[in-house]
Amino acid sequence: MSFGRGFFNAMELWKYIGRRLIQIVVIFFVILTVLFLLFRLAPGDPVSRMVDPDMTPEDAELLISQLGLDQPLGVQYVYYLKNFITGNFGESFNYGEPVINIIWDRLPNTILLFTTAIILSALAGIFLGKIASWHKGEKTDNVLTVAALAAHTVFLPWLGLILIWVFAYKLDWFPITGMLSEDVWLDPDVGMLTKFLDILHHMVLPLTTLFLIHFGSYLLIMRSSMLDTLKEDYILTARAKGLGEKVIRNHHAAPNAALPVVTSVGLSLAFSINGGALTETVFTWPGIGRELVMSVSQNDYPLAQASFLLIAIVVLFSNLVVDILYAYLDPRIRY
Amino acid sequence: MILIHSVAGKYFIRPICISVLFLMCIIGSDFSGSEANAADNLKIGLLQEPKTLNIWMAGDKWSGRVLSLMYQRLYIRDPDTLKLIPWLAEKDPVYDESTISFTVKLRPAKWSDGSEFTSEDVAFTGRLINEFKIPRYRARWKFIKRIETPDKHTVRFYLEKPMAIFSTRTLTSPIIQKKEWAQVAEEARKSEKPLTTLQNCRIEKPVGTGPFILKEWRQGAFLFLQKNKHFFAAGQKISDRMLGPYINGIIFKFFGTSDAAILALRKGTIDMFWWGIQPGYLEELEKDPDIKLFSNERSALYYWGFNIRRPPFNDVKLRQAIATLIDKDFIVSRILQGHGTQMNSVIPPGNKFWLCRDLHLYGKGDKKEERVKKAHKILKDAGYTWDVSPVNEQGEVVKGKGIRLPSGELMRKFAILTPPANYDPLRAMSGVIIQEWLKETGIPASAKPMSLGALLQKVKSQHDFDAFILGYGRLDIDPDWLRKFFCSREDRKRGGNKSGYHNPDFDRIADESAATMDREKRRDLIWEMQKIIVRDVPYIPLYTPDLIEAARKDKFSGWVETLEGIGNLWSFCELKPE
Amino acid sequence: MKKPDNVYLNRFPWVARFQEGWAIYRQNLLGRIGLALLVMFGLMALCSFIPPLIDPMYEPMIGVDPEVLCSTYPSARHWLGTDFMGRDILSQLLAGARVAFMVGVSAAFMSIVLGTAIGLIAGYMGRFIDTLLMRLADMIMVMPTLLVVLILAALFGQLNIWTIVLIIALFRWPGVSRVIRAQTLTLKQRPFIEAAKVAGASHMRIIFRHIMPNVLPLAFLYMTFRVTSAIIIEAALAFLGFGDPSTVSWGMMLQWVWKTGHMFKAPYWLLPPGICISLITLSFYMLGRAMDEVLDPRLRNEEQAG
Repeated sequence: MSFGRGFFNAMELWKYIGRRLIQIVVIFFVILTVLFLLFRLAPGDPVSRMVDPDMTPEDAELLISQLGLDQPLGVQYVYYLKNFITGNFGESFNYGEPVINIIWDRLPNTILLFTTAIILSALAGIFLGKIASWHKGEKTDNVLTVAALAAHTVFLPWLGLILIWVFAYKLDWFPITGMLSEDVWLDPDVGMLTKFLDILHHMVLPLTTLFLIHFGSYLLIMRSSMLDTLKEDYILTARAKGLGEKVIRNHHAAPNAALPVVTSVGLSLAFSINGGALTETVFTWPGIGRELVMSVSQNDYPLAQASFLLIAIVVLFSNLVVDILYAYLDPRIRY
Repeated sequence: MILIHSVAGKYFIRPICISVLFLMCIIGSDFSGSEANAADNLKIGLLQEPKTLNIWMAGDKWSGRVLSLMYQRLYIRDPDTLKLIPWLAEKDPVYDESTISFTVKLRPAKWSDGSEFTSEDVAFTGRLINEFKIPRYRARWKFIKRIETPDKHTVRFYLEKPMAIFSTRTLTSPIIQKKEWAQVAEEARKSEKPLTTLQNCRIEKPVGTGPFILKEWRQGAFLFLQKNKHFFAAGQKISDRMLGPYINGIIFKFFGTSDAAILALRKGTIDMFWWGIQPGYLEELEKDPDIKLFSNERSALYYWGFNIRRPPFNDVKLRQAIATLIDKDFIVSRILQGHGTQMNSVIPPGNKFWLCRDLHLYGKGDKKEERVKKAHKILKDAGYTWDVSPVNEQGEVVKGKGIRLPSGELMRKFAILTPPANYDPLRAMSGVIIQEWLKETGIPASAKPMSLGALLQKVKSQHDFDAFILGYGRLDIDPDWLRKFFCSREDRKRGGNKSGYHNPDFDRIADESAATMDREKRRDLIWEMQKIIVRDVPYIPLYTPDLIEAARKDKFSGWVETLEGIGNLWSFCELKPE
Repeated sequence: MKKPDNVYLNRFPWVARFQEGWAIYRQNLLGRIGLALLVMFGLMALCSFIPPLIDPMYEPMIGVDPEVLCSTYPSARHWLGTDFMGRDILSQLLAGARVAFMVGVSAAFMSIVLGTAIGLIAGYMGRFIDTLLMRLADMIMVMPTLLVVLILAALFGQLNIWTIVLIIALFRWPGVSRVIRAQTLTLKQRPFIEAAKVAGASHMRIIFRHIMPNVLPLAFLYMTFRVTSAIIIEAALAFLGFGDPSTVSWGMMLQWVWKTGHMFKAPYWLLPPGICISLITLSFYMLGRAMDEVLDPRLRNEEQAG
C-alpha cells in the first residue's frame, strides 16, 4: 500500500486509479488460476465423500463425468475461464443450484452483520480513543487502553461461545443461533417492524462479538493519532486564537485524527473477514463466510471458489479505495 | 449519545444507516405469510438445513427426510414386523416365474395437485431412472428390461433375470409424477449434461402423494409442510393403524448445533429433535417432566476393516487373533455407556430376520487374560513369535513386546485410521482403546485420527492402509449389500469391497442368493455368507449404537417407535394433538 | 548500566544495543507483564511432559482414566476435570501450550527468515526485482490468511501441523519484508556500505555482513506480532475442524467442547483454553509493543540520518 502520495490534479488521480485497476484485474486473474489449480490438483473430490452403499462405482464415475471432472486439466481450465467471463459461476455440487443464487441469498446477511459491526466499532473507537488521548496517563486512559488491548486479543470464537453461554443460555435474553425466528416470520399478521426487530434481536450477540474484537484497535489508533494531531501547528494556532479546549478537540483535532481509523478499517479488512467467517460459524448466521467454510469442508468446488473470489474482490477493491483516500487526502493529513 | 465528529462520519453516516435499513428490507421482502401459526403444527428441529427438494439430487439425509414425507413408495415396511406391506400398491406383488415378471396392483390415489395417480407415473419413474442412470437408484432398476401398464392401476415389470432385491429395493423407490417431471426430462435430454441438468432442476413445490406438501421454505430459517388433503391413506386403516395425518402441518427449524436444538426442545420452541442425542445430554433431559426419551435400535454397522491385500493382515490367523483381543463388551459398556449393542455379524442385530445367530464368537464374554491367552495360542500355532511373549512360561499374562511374523521379521508398525474425535468420538475412542489392547500383546498398532475425506481417499480410492474403523449409519434391511462389501468384483477403485477380500466360494453363494426369490431359501444362503465372513474376518463388526431421541409430551402424542427411531412416516401419520 | 568499550561496540554493536534496550524495556509496565505471562506459558509448555510420566492416564491424546468415561468436574485426580472421553484437561492444556509455542515460534521464525531475505533482496537489488517482490507482497498481504489456509486445509484433506505452520509462514512474510526493505533502502546509502563496495566486497557479503545485523533487531520485533497471528490462525483452524487431529492444541480443545455439546455444561473445559489463547496473544502483543518503544526512537533516528 503506498502511503502519502499527494496528487496535484485530478488527471493524476485518474491515471493512478487506472493503473491500480489493471493491477487488480491481473491479481484477480492470478488468484482465479491458482484456485482452479488448487481445487483440481488436490486429492479427493466431492464424489468420494459420498459413502452411500447404494452408490456404485459406476454411479460415481457418471457423476464425475457429468460434473466435468474427468476432462483433461486444460479443457477444464478453458471451460472455467469461459464460464467466468460470461458470469456463469457454475452450479453448486451440494445444492444443485446456481452458485450465483446461493451467494446472492447469503450476501445481504453478511453485509448487514459485518458493516453494522465495523461501523459501530469504528465510531466507538473514535469516540473512546479521543477521550483516552485527552486523559493521557490518567486512570481513564489506562483503563481504556487495557480494555482495548484485552478486547482485541480475545480469541474470537471463544468470545462468541462465552456470550452465547451467558446471555442466550443462562440468562435467556437472546436466541442461541440463527438469524430469524420462524414463529415471527410465518405469522401473516406480523408487521415489518416486528420482523426487523426479530433480526435485530438475533443480531445482538454476533454484533457484540465482532464489536468487541474490533473497537480495541480503533481506539488505540485514534488515541495515538489524536496525540500526534494535538501537537500540530494549526492546533497551536487555534489555541492562540483563544478557542475553547473542547471546541479545539472536537472540531479541529478529532476529525483529522479520525482519518487513520477510517483507513485502518480498510487495511485490516483481511483480519475482519477472518473474524466475520468465524462469527458466522459460531452463531450459525447464514452468511457468505459460513457458506465458504461449509462448502470447503464438503468439497463443493464451485461454491467455495465463488465465495472466495467474492471475498478477494471485496478485499482488493476496498484496498484500492483506501489507497485513493490516502492519496487524495494526503496533503491535508500527516500520518 | 455518541457524537459523530469525524469528517468521514459526517458524510457517511446517513447513507450507511439508510443502506442498512434497505438491506433489512431486502432480507425481509420475499416473505409470504400463511396459516402456519395454527397451534397444531408440529415443530421439528433439524441439525442441518435440507440442501434441495429435487429428489434425484438429494444425497444428504435432511433433504431425504423432508422429501420422504412428500414422495411415496409402492411398498414400505411395517414398523413392528419390518415386513414389506403395500402402500401405494394395493396388495403384494404377484410373481410369474415363466416370464420373470412382477405384477403390481395400485391403490386409488391422488397427487397433491389433485390429479390421479396412475401406473403411467410408476412406469415413467422407472424409465427415467434407467434412462438417466440416476445414481443411488440405478443399481436397483437396471435389470428391469421392460415396464408395461395394462391399465391405469396395474403395472407389470419384466426382469432380465431373477433378482431378489426387486421386491425389497426396487419397489421401495419413490414414485414421481409424470406430469411434473416430463418437461424437465425433455429439457435434460436435450442438454449437454443430461444427468446434471436433471439433478440441478429447481423443484419449487414438489408434487407428491404423501401426507404433507411443501408450503414454504425460507432458506436459512425454516421449512413449512402442510397437510395434504389428497393423501391417499388419510382416514384409512393400514397395517392395523388408523392413519391421519391429524396434525395441520410440520415446521422444520434448523439449528447449527445440537446444543441449540436441545435447548429449544426444553424451552418448547420445538416439539421434537430429529437427530440422535448424545449421552451427555441425557441426564438433564431425563429430569424434565415434559420430555419423553425414546431409545431404538439402528440398522447401523460400526466396524474394523483390514487391508487383506498386503501383509501383515493377509494372514487370516492374525485377523482372528485380533478379533479375539477386542473386548466388545467393554466398548459398549464404557465407550457407548451402555447405549448400544455389540455386533457379532456384519448384519445389525435389529435386522432379526436376516441375522444369523449361530456364529462363532471370538472371545465373547472372556476376561482380558482369557482373550490374551486365546489370541496367543492362535498366533503361536500359526508360527508367530515374540521378543517378549504376552504369555510367559508359567502361563501368566504379561505385557508383550515385538511380535514377529512367521517369517521371522518384526511386524512393522501400522496405523488404525479413524475419523476425528469431533466427528465421531465413539470411533476415535474405540481406535484408542483397541490400540492399547493390541500394544499390550506386542502388536505395534497406533490409532491415527484423520479427516474423513482423507480417510476415505486412502481407503476407498488408493487402497493404501492397514486397518481402519468406519461405519455405515444406515444399512438397508435387505442384506444385498453383503455382496457389495465382500464380492471379489467389488474390489476396485471406489468399490464397496474395501478390504480386498477375494473368496470364490463366497462369490458363488452370494450371486446365488441374489437370484433366489424364495425368502426362506435366500435366508439360508445369507446365513452361509455370514458364517464365511465371521470365519475369514475381513471386517470385525464392533457395535451398533442405540438411537436416543427426545420429544415433548405436552403437545403431541402418538410417536411410533421402530428401527431407526421415531422420525418415521407412521409417526407423522398417527401423531395427535393433546 | 555499564556500557561496554567502543571496540566492542563496533564489532558487536548488537550487544550494546541489547543491553540498552533491556534497560528501557524493564521500565515498561506492559512489557514486564507480557514477559511474565510468557514465562508462565513457557513453564506450562515445559511441564507438559510431566503428567504422562506420572501416570499414562494423563496422556493428553490417548490417556484414559479407567474410572471416568465422561466429562467430569475438577477433582483431586484431575485438577481441571476431564473431557468427554475421560482425558485429563490439565494435561491437554499444558500440551496445548507446547503446541502454541511450537506453532507460533516456528511460523514466526520461518516468516521472518523469508520476509527478511526477500526484504533484503528487494531493497538491495532495487528496480524490477524490487517492484515484482513488493507487488507479490501486496497481493499476499491483503488475503485473509485464515480463509486461504482453510481452503488449502480442506483441499488437501489432512494437514499435518507442520504443513499448517509452513502455510501460515508463507502468508505472513509480506509485512516483515516491507519493513526490512525500507530499512535496507536506508542503509544502502550509508557510507560504510559504499566503503565496502569500493573495497570489492561481493553483494552477498555486503548483505550478510553489513546490512543484515543492523536489520535483525527490527526483524525480531516483528516476529512477536507474527507469533500472535500464527497462534490465532492455528487456533481458529483447529476450532473450525481443519486442524491436525493428532495434535492437542487449545483451538482443538475448544472445538471438542463445542462439538460434543458440552459448551453449556462444562465451564472447566470451555474456559481454560480460551483464556490461554487470549492471554498468550495479549502477552506477545504487550511484549511487541514494549519492544516497539525500545526500538522505535532508534529507528527514527536512523531513517532521518539516512
